[in-house]
Amino acid sequence: MDPRSIDRDLLHGTIARALRRGGDFAEVYVEDRRGLGIRLEDGRIEQTSGGHECGAAVRLLSGERTYYAFSDELDERALSAAADAVAAAMAGGGSGPAVVELGAVRSAPEKHPVRVPPESVAIARKAELLRAGDEAARALGGEIVQAIIGYGDSRRRVLIANSLGEIVADDRTSVRLAAQIVARRGDVIQTGVETLGGAAGFELVGEAIAREVAAAAAGKAKTMLDARPAPAGAMPVVLGNGFGGTLFHEACGHGLEADAVAKGASIYAGMLGEVVAAPIVSAYDDGAIPNGWGSQAFDDEGVPTQKTLLIEQGRLTGYIYDRLRARQLGAAPTGNGRRQSFRHVPIPRMTTTFIAPGEATPEEIIAATSRGFYAKSLAGGQVEPASGNFVFGVAEGYLIENGKLTTPLRGATLVGSGIDILRKIDMIAGDFEVKTGMCGKDGQSVPVGTGQSTLRISEMTVGGTA
Amino acid sequence: MFEVLDAVLERAVARGANDVEVFAEASTSRHIKVYRQEVEQLTAARRRGLGVRVFRDGAVGHAYTSDLSESGLEEVVARAVDHAAVSDPDEFSALPQPAGEPADVHPYDERLAKATDDQRIELALKVEAAAVAADERVKTVEDTVYADGEAEVFLASTAGVRGSYRSNQCYTFAYVLAEQDGQVETGYSYSVGRALEALDAVACGNEAAQRACRQLGARKCASMTVPVVLDPFVAAAFFGVLSSALTADAVQKGRSLFAGREGQAVAADLLTLADDGTRPDGLDSAPFDGEGTPCRRTPLIQGGVLQGFLYDSYTARKAGRASTGNGLRGSYSSLPGVHPTNLVVEGQATPLDEMLAGITKGVLVTNAVGVHSGANPITGQFSVGISGILIEDGRLTTPVREVTLAGDILGMLSGIRALGDDARWVPSGSILTPSVLIEPMAIGGT
Repeated sequence: MDPRSIDRDLLHGTIARALRRGGDFAEVYVEDRRGLGIRLEDGRIEQTSGGHECGAAVRLLSGERTYYAFSDELDERALSAAADAVAAAMAGGGSGPAVVELGAVRSAPEKHPVRVPPESVAIARKAELLRAGDEAARALGGEIVQAIIGYGDSRRRVLIANSLGEIVADDRTSVRLAAQIVARRGDVIQTGVETLGGAAGFELVGEAIAREVAAAAAGKAKTMLDARPAPAGAMPVVLGNGFGGTLFHEACGHGLEADAVAKGASIYAGMLGEVVAAPIVSAYDDGAIPNGWGSQAFDDEGVPTQKTLLIEQGRLTGYIYDRLRARQLGAAPTGNGRRQSFRHVPIPRMTTTFIAPGEATPEEIIAATSRGFYAKSLAGGQVEPASGNFVFGVAEGYLIENGKLTTPLRGATLVGSGIDILRKIDMIAGDFEVKTGMCGKDGQSVPVGTGQSTLRISEMTVGGTA
Repeated sequence: MFEVLDAVLERAVARGANDVEVFAEASTSRHIKVYRQEVEQLTAARRRGLGVRVFRDGAVGHAYTSDLSESGLEEVVARAVDHAAVSDPDEFSALPQPAGEPADVHPYDERLAKATDDQRIELALKVEAAAVAADERVKTVEDTVYADGEAEVFLASTAGVRGSYRSNQCYTFAYVLAEQDGQVETGYSYSVGRALEALDAVACGNEAAQRACRQLGARKCASMTVPVVLDPFVAAAFFGVLSSALTADAVQKGRSLFAGREGQAVAADLLTLADDGTRPDGLDSAPFDGEGTPCRRTPLIQGGVLQGFLYDSYTARKAGRASTGNGLRGSYSSLPGVHPTNLVVEGQATPLDEMLAGITKGVLVTNAVGVHSGANPITGQFSVGISGILIEDGRLTTPVREVTLAGDILGMLSGIRALGDDARWVPSGSILTPSVLIEPMAIGGT
């Protein structure tokens, strides 16, 4: 169903019903989501799966409290029950504010245009992308022993109406390709990963692109077959562009999300205006990059997305807010109130978060490093937002000796704390690139762009196995 | 609900699909967060939907929907059939056949169904209060959660599989920040069960606070190769990674370091590891799995020797054997995949004091970050960030942080020297494990 077809009186009535025992803000979020996933492994298209889910959530805010109820049903009975469930949580000290009449529906389909809607493309054609990727990976030789290629598309149509009288409709389409290639030589097994995606239609992908993505992943896996165990210890670390941005996302970005800040659970709490990074570092969160993987026209609270300056020449200038935390901290929302689906409470989330490009070239940075570690591509990692302490696996790494990349290294991890590495960034290149990621927090997974230019951290702990 | 399942089967047959299975789920859940003795967030959820799996000459198509109207059912069936047409055939893919009586497991406690929101909130408040009261260095209890869920699942197929059951579970969780001299350390704890009465709010809050406070003053230590003790939380994270290599799926796809090692010693002989979907106290216990196969106990490692792997119906057919009842579904929208139910670590228990007393120099590992990303289930190599406490002359002394623990899974398993007497359920993955002493292991520090 199209959420825009929901009766406006029903929306208004549900909001008023939620507020009838108190509270200061109420919202209805209606969503219709469709998705398809195709996966190839062992040269074969596996169990193809897809589906359709729709539902609605009612949210009531009272001061810093949130009451939330959702249901997979969309009729009047289900919406009333959800409104009653949140209202019941209020002690019942009089009713909340009057609900402003809903205005005209806002939408911005021009922001992330979709030229070829994925549902207009035959599934068989999507499957051909995977076969092309498989072929391209295996063309790299007998050491490529496994190719797992995935294609996914989704369409999420949402309608968000609230007690301020705002009503926003957003129609979101996204497409993603991912390749995970395994190479083997004797007992040594290595995996390479590459992805491509965007808030766009099927025009984003094609057989040639699928070949490129798979070949890039296969190239990484093959290179790493020659890898030696990484040394351990403190040394200069050069982080590659693209995937290297995962480190900033995890080790710093999460600490800038206003829920952690509001609770004092972030080392960046209370540090607005203070120096948190080296003077060459500026950083942004940008949810409005046209057709970007982490982009949407509006966030999941109906606030337009924007480009937010987080760090300006080393000084902390802003946080990443949803409505609730913006209100709590006396700031303006930044369009970062995101939720995985109607089954999830909106919370402050990054979109595409990155350190701004600099003036150097990647070659200059490597040449200026006499001995160090080049982390070209990172695997997953974990961070404690409170301390900013993190650990990252390095998917593709090299030793730097006398200003040159030499041996590929395996089994390396990067260990440190976010604020410490921000202060130790001493060179930034201009080769800015964004990669697609999925970010998990509080049990919710949302698409995010992670990226940066090649940059150097003057000293960092490398945990190796050599 | 069975009428809806039957309607789906009929529609699929009418579209020419003969081998069809439908899985439906209806659930309710509560999630409550408290902060500074107030309810910060309360979520009340209802969900229901179904997934259809169609087998056509070995090709599988799957589709799901939350729309149970006539048109919704028509659409989900049409999609499942379309999806089967694009998938490649696989000679081992076939509709699971009935596999016997469901296990005698009742993962449902009537008491939880009677709980009120007020009682749930009171319990969460008690957890937070206990954490704050435990130590004056507790700065804040960043997260205090009470959550529960109740679900009823239904399964029916054209092969005659037909069953349903109810299950429920609840837990509390606390995540504490402690501060001293500008240094912040964190600690967490859980309590899990199937009734509010089964949860220990005070112990949960207390333990989270103690785990945070005892890390205060932590610093890096020198690199060394020493005995380490993994506490149950950390041991569970490692056994969790290990278990993915013990699925037949990983073995058949060449992604397991255990492939071809059945009958061989892969661990110290004091270790026994089993998957057990029938334990009354296990949160992931059920009468049957997501394909209708009865749940059971499957030994994985016994006396250090690898006994076998976990199977769903597909991997079992490929291996020419029977499913072990490990074809599990995350929800109505997911396909079944091979996953552990409850993992249980067993073996001769050594009192924890005695275990520590025997160590001249070592590390008690109380937190590990990056186990899931830093451990490679194919090669078994890992390097993870840890924090913990130094063990010197049999006593816990200085806390340490920002150091790494590196090694490989097989070396670690054969290095197991003792299992503690402190076995407990760790909910992420439902793993019952004690502390584990391993020797030697490489700590990477300064």
